[in-house]
Amino acid sequence: MKKDVAALMTVFLLAAALLISGCNTPRFIKKAEFKETDLIVLTFAGPVDETWAGDSTNFTVNEKPDPDILLDIRSVGLSADQTRLTIEFSEPINQDQPHQVIVKEVLSEGKNLGTQTISVSKSYFGYIFGIFLGALLIQNFVFSKYLGLCVFFGTSQKKTTAVGMGITFTAVIVFASFMSWFLYQFVLKPYRLDFLQIIVFIGLVSLTVQGVDTILRKINPGLFKAFGVYLVLVIANCIVIAVPLILADNEYNMIESLMLALGAGLGFLLALFLMSSVRERLDFADIPVSYRGLPIAFIVAGLFALSFMGFSGMSIF
Amino acid sequence: MDPLYIKLAFGGLALLASIGLFFGIGLALAAHKFAVEVNPKVEAVKEVLAGAQ
Repeated sequence: MKKDVAALMTVFLLAAALLISGCNTPRFIKKAEFKETDLIVLTFAGPVDETWAGDSTNFTVNEKPDPDILLDIRSVGLSADQTRLTIEFSEPINQDQPHQVIVKEVLSEGKNLGTQTISVSKSYFGYIFGIFLGALLIQNFVFSKYLGLCVFFGTSQKKTTAVGMGITFTAVIVFASFMSWFLYQFVLKPYRLDFLQIIVFIGLVSLTVQGVDTILRKINPGLFKAFGVYLVLVIANCIVIAVPLILADNEYNMIESLMLALGAGLGFLLALFLMSSVRERLDFADIPVSYRGLPIAFIVAGLFALSFMGFSGMSIF
Repeated sequence: MDPLYIKLAFGGLALLASIGLFFGIGLALAAHKFAVEVNPKVEAVKEVLAGAQ
């Protein structure tokens, strides 16, 4: 029974991944990539005409969201074997945005291959890994967005509870944000009901928790006992509602939203683990009476938040 | 009022109601299918206890 479910899930995920990766048709422009801060390099399948390439009016480049704003091209250079073309801009370009390059009337060995369009973006793997690491460390939901603090202080007194809560939370948030992504993209948006997203997401989260509770109780009582109390506490956590809202705002696709949810869950687990490690030791420390318990925990959380600020502004790829 | 908004409102009502009904029935079926037998004595003992905590 459990194996069947796992197999079904794998098949479903694989099919979805295939659908998203799409079908790449072979083209004359083989590759387009960013170089340094102000260069885009195009690689062609065959040699192109030198005089055609020397004319920079044959190329227009814009950021994908604003097709009206054309970027200023300073020069266009061709490599010796005439297959690599370097477009240099007069200002550094924002490489976090995908760019669109339109190449007019490509001339290759006397033949006109027509106008071609290609989009340039950073490597997709790096992008989704960036989302994951961003949610985990750089924009950690507890330490830099100050979300989910109630549950965070409530369950970080002991390491075992903290880890139990963290793992339960990660499992629930991945499932819940997948469901809300699906509902948002395929139900709310097409029917223009996206202004109701908060209500719908709240319902979905509690539905997920209730469903996991019911099913786990029967299928895996051991795990249910371990999750036990925390499962209900997840409803009271606002990270679990923040993640679907962020997904809806940023129009993430399925893989990106799974990465964000996973990052948020593991980030919460990390925060809980760090905090509980400190609080276990605080029990033996000589703290002034008025600071014992919650006040010192708040101070420790503030110190953690300060140290997590060290991650801010980092970019990995 | 703009008929578009009225259409949107009633469409949304119907849609959300059907989603709610769908998931509600789903949960009910799940609760039925994955029902766990609870020893009735547990409840009985809980009833008798003082229950201050």
